[in-house]
Amino acid sequence: MPTIDIDYAEFEKLLGLELHRDLEKVSEVLEFVKGEVKLWDEKADVMSVEINDTSRPDVWNIEGLARTLRGFLGLETGLKEYRVGKPIVEIFVDERLATIRPYIGCSIIKGVRLSDPIIRGFMHMQDKLDQSYGRNRQRTSIGLYDFDLIKSPLTYGVAKPTEISFVPLGCEEKMNLKQILQKHPKGIEYGHIVNKHPVYPILLDAERKVLSFPPVINSSDLGRITDQTRNVLVEVTGTMNETVLNTVKIVTLSLIDRGGKAYAAKVHYPKEQAPVVTPSFEVGSMDLDVEYVNKVSGLRFTAKQIVELLSKAGYRAEKVGGDCVRVHVPCYRVDVMHPVDLVEDVTIAYGYNNIKPLWRRLPTTGGMRLEQALVDTARELMVGLGFQEVLTYTLTNPDNLFSKMNVKRGKVVELANPKVQTLTCLRSWLLPSLMEFLSNNLSVEYPQRIFELGKVTLLDEKRETGTRDEDWLAAVVSHANAGFSEIKSNLDAFFMNLGLKWQIKEAKHPSFIDGRVGTAIVEGTSVGILGEINPQVLMKWKLENPAAGFELNMQKIAKTKHKPTA
Amino acid sequence: MVDLREHERKTLSALKKLSGKASLEQIMNESGLSDSAVMRAAITLHERKLLKIIEEKQALATLSEEGKSYARKGLPERRMIDTLKKLSGEAPLETVVEKAGLEDQFVPIALGWIQRKKWAALDSKTKTLRISEKIGEGSDERLLKILGEKGQAVVEDLGSELQETVQILKGRKLLDVEQKTRRIIEITDAGLAATKKGTRVAAEVTQLTPELIISGKWRKAKLQKYNIAAQGGNTWLGKKHPYLQFLDEVREKLVALGFKEMTGTAVETAFFNFDALYTPQGHPAREPSGCYYVKSPKHGSVNAYKQVLANVKATHESGWKTGSSGWRYKYSTKEAGRLVLRSHTTCLSARTLLGRDLEIPGMYFSIGPCYRPEVLDKTHLTEFNQVEGIVVDKDLTLRDLLGVLEKFAIDIAGADKAKFVPDYFPFTEPSVELRAYKKGFGWIEFGGSGIFRPEVTLPLGIDVPVLAWGLGIDRLFMLKAGIDDIRQLFTLNLDWLRRKEVT
Repeated sequence: MPTIDIDYAEFEKLLGLELHRDLEKVSEVLEFVKGEVKLWDEKADVMSVEINDTSRPDVWNIEGLARTLRGFLGLETGLKEYRVGKPIVEIFVDERLATIRPYIGCSIIKGVRLSDPIIRGFMHMQDKLDQSYGRNRQRTSIGLYDFDLIKSPLTYGVAKPTEISFVPLGCEEKMNLKQILQKHPKGIEYGHIVNKHPVYPILLDAERKVLSFPPVINSSDLGRITDQTRNVLVEVTGTMNETVLNTVKIVTLSLIDRGGKAYAAKVHYPKEQAPVVTPSFEVGSMDLDVEYVNKVSGLRFTAKQIVELLSKAGYRAEKVGGDCVRVHVPCYRVDVMHPVDLVEDVTIAYGYNNIKPLWRRLPTTGGMRLEQALVDTARELMVGLGFQEVLTYTLTNPDNLFSKMNVKRGKVVELANPKVQTLTCLRSWLLPSLMEFLSNNLSVEYPQRIFELGKVTLLDEKRETGTRDEDWLAAVVSHANAGFSEIKSNLDAFFMNLGLKWQIKEAKHPSFIDGRVGTAIVEGTSVGILGEINPQVLMKWKLENPAAGFELNMQKIAKTKHKPTA
Repeated sequence: MVDLREHERKTLSALKKLSGKASLEQIMNESGLSDSAVMRAAITLHERKLLKIIEEKQALATLSEEGKSYARKGLPERRMIDTLKKLSGEAPLETVVEKAGLEDQFVPIALGWIQRKKWAALDSKTKTLRISEKIGEGSDERLLKILGEKGQAVVEDLGSELQETVQILKGRKLLDVEQKTRRIIEITDAGLAATKKGTRVAAEVTQLTPELIISGKWRKAKLQKYNIAAQGGNTWLGKKHPYLQFLDEVREKLVALGFKEMTGTAVETAFFNFDALYTPQGHPAREPSGCYYVKSPKHGSVNAYKQVLANVKATHESGWKTGSSGWRYKYSTKEAGRLVLRSHTTCLSARTLLGRDLEIPGMYFSIGPCYRPEVLDKTHLTEFNQVEGIVVDKDLTLRDLLGVLEKFAIDIAGADKAKFVPDYFPFTEPSVELRAYKKGFGWIEFGGSGIFRPEVTLPLGIDVPVLAWGLGIDRLFMLKAGIDDIRQLFTLNLDWLRRKEVT
């Protein structure tokens, strides 16, 4: 979720409403855009606002935020019209970009007055759009330039890694593209997007001056805006045409809101007949049935009310026919896909807290999952036997599951992208988690008696997910005199109280001491293992006291019972 | 004469025999009493000022694995010099190394120490080692020998020279030093005087035995009075994990409200975790930073859902029959089968809607672990439990959703009031966040919810509204349990679990 930094003074100015830096009031206002103040740096007078709505890049900047809020607050309702002048820049696109980064969009905004907080806001918007909407510049990336230094037509072309040199932003010396990828911080960060290609994208003006090396870095000469800049050129390149066009649109609107006048650019793609003119502020339209609004909301709105509420949400709407409303959707609402999106805006404008909740008890029968009854009984019994229940992660690592348990490495569900080295796979049995627990409590009073009833994940080719999950139960006792007979008597009591017939058969298992380990058999089925932990295992977990434990497959036990107690 | 109880007398006389100062263990051995008996007696005697209990910090030195091997085989420089001696005091370095059987990694160490100890000189040109005259046993070797024999040593008990040597060996990582607290019991002058003057054991009975009861001797015996305020031993009883118990309660409440439990697996196909929930294939939640992917097998099977898969694909690409414009991109069927660790339990709701057993009207819930690649901190877990579910019926509306949410706030969170705030999920519209107010807790975010988008329900063949909800129960539990670090839910701290009150 994007978190955007908002200069409070600028926010109030754009909003046209004084909120007196009152957190409660500001929070309430931000609810309309699904925003939440996460931090408020009082010294810098900057709020960090998290926007929950990942589908509305138009509110990820201070201008868009204020634009939307002014509607909901009734300060400026209806659809805000934006205009763009005729094209004053042409761009020719090289066909070799087709497999690299084919699309470009551009606009020119003249007559903006920029101050430091405004420029910071634009830089911040550029960052957020590049990161979230542009997927870390993979999908789109933005460049802002001083238009007065640039001569049309532009060429969006390609260059070999060492063919062109320019001074990148943040540096003082000329570097070629290869050097930028190797040395410049942005080159190191974003180089992976282009470096697999033999040639790299490059944006040049009519005099072959470099504007930027998309999506990596702008030129220090042209690609910098300051408080002296009056006319700004916006350029967006990317791999998805729609995203490129939306991004140009959103950035341009912010600059218009800051008092600029926008002009278009004409993009000539190879082999295409008609050039593409960007940006387009075309208003969309959608018909909305009054009945549909009421069916979803559970309220009884009239067409007139709906028109008014939509107007607060920034739309223009009018009644057409009997029970239908034609809605004109502002160009920046790239998130509106279905009439249901309009219904939400109607209800938000109406106010969720003005809607009376309705609780209707449906004629359903509640119930826990089938296995839960046995799971609960088993936990009750373990508690009765004096064991403390513990809860550990199902994520673990093969070292814990296998080598530290003295067993051969088996197959488990491993993660392709683990976040930390200790959590790289799902557990296939529980005893290692309990050993880890014991090893964290060496200085806690003994005897220690712990159990966990939890999920294990096993590979299973026959299932859709290639795996199956089972409820298993493991318990361990550890103290100076812990041993087989103690754990066996505990297990005996457990089985007896479940009403089972069981026997213990000799077994071999390297986690346990040879001759002190057995399989638990219920109705002819092996349901688990018990034994005294091998000192080699104790050593690996740095445990100083003997330990004995068991591990049971509750799924198998459930099957041996004629009927799970429901 | 001083009146003492049996254990007290034994403790005191044992202490006297041990020259007036001893550890708990020493007194246990000398007196034959158990540790708790000695401790109890010592506490009483301490209160009567007959002895003092002193807590002493001490440093305990133990050999590391490397140290142990040197204790057996000798220090590498010793092995080198012994070999050099056998080679008549002068030999090429290479020969010495080979004959000494030193592993490569120890050669620089051995050479360094030989030169530091001035045991031999290395001619840098000819690479020849020549032995010096004086080669005594160093204090390091003496300490190594002591530790090799005894296993450990109290640093304070060693002489000042050896104490310095401890630091040298520690620097060589041959031993570890651990700080421990030791209880020393020391007899006082009064205690000493009491043992001299003689003590009298009161004819008191400590333990009432079956024999005393049966024989009737208890009538004549004087049962000893206990210091009942004295610290007894601890009893740690078995109990459920507080967080799991809380989840049990939530489960019971949901069942009582008429919800049926859904279950599934930790590993899920991207199809159910994302696609069926109208989350486009390029969505940030699907990037490696947003979701765990399974290394092997990479793909599961979605063959059982051919028709639904086609519907979902068409919906993502162009909206299909849902009235939506769709996400407008090229949908990959292969990507649908990609296996992930479920990042939420909403995938279970999608499976339930598709299931043959779906009841309409129906209310469903699930409680289970979900996984996201987060760095663990005070507010984030990489594995966490979600409680969520759906309500399915014809004619359900946003008002019903708010009704369900309000019910949860009051019945489950025990809140005084609830309010609703706009929220966002790719799979619901409208979307609502539930905030619950509870006196003493303030407003807490208690849930996220919404009505499933038509792009979710129609491809699954559901043409009635589906209310979807999830509850932020972790935060509620943390408030109730008075913890402010979410990692505490999966605590490895046994002492905390033992002492945590049962609510």
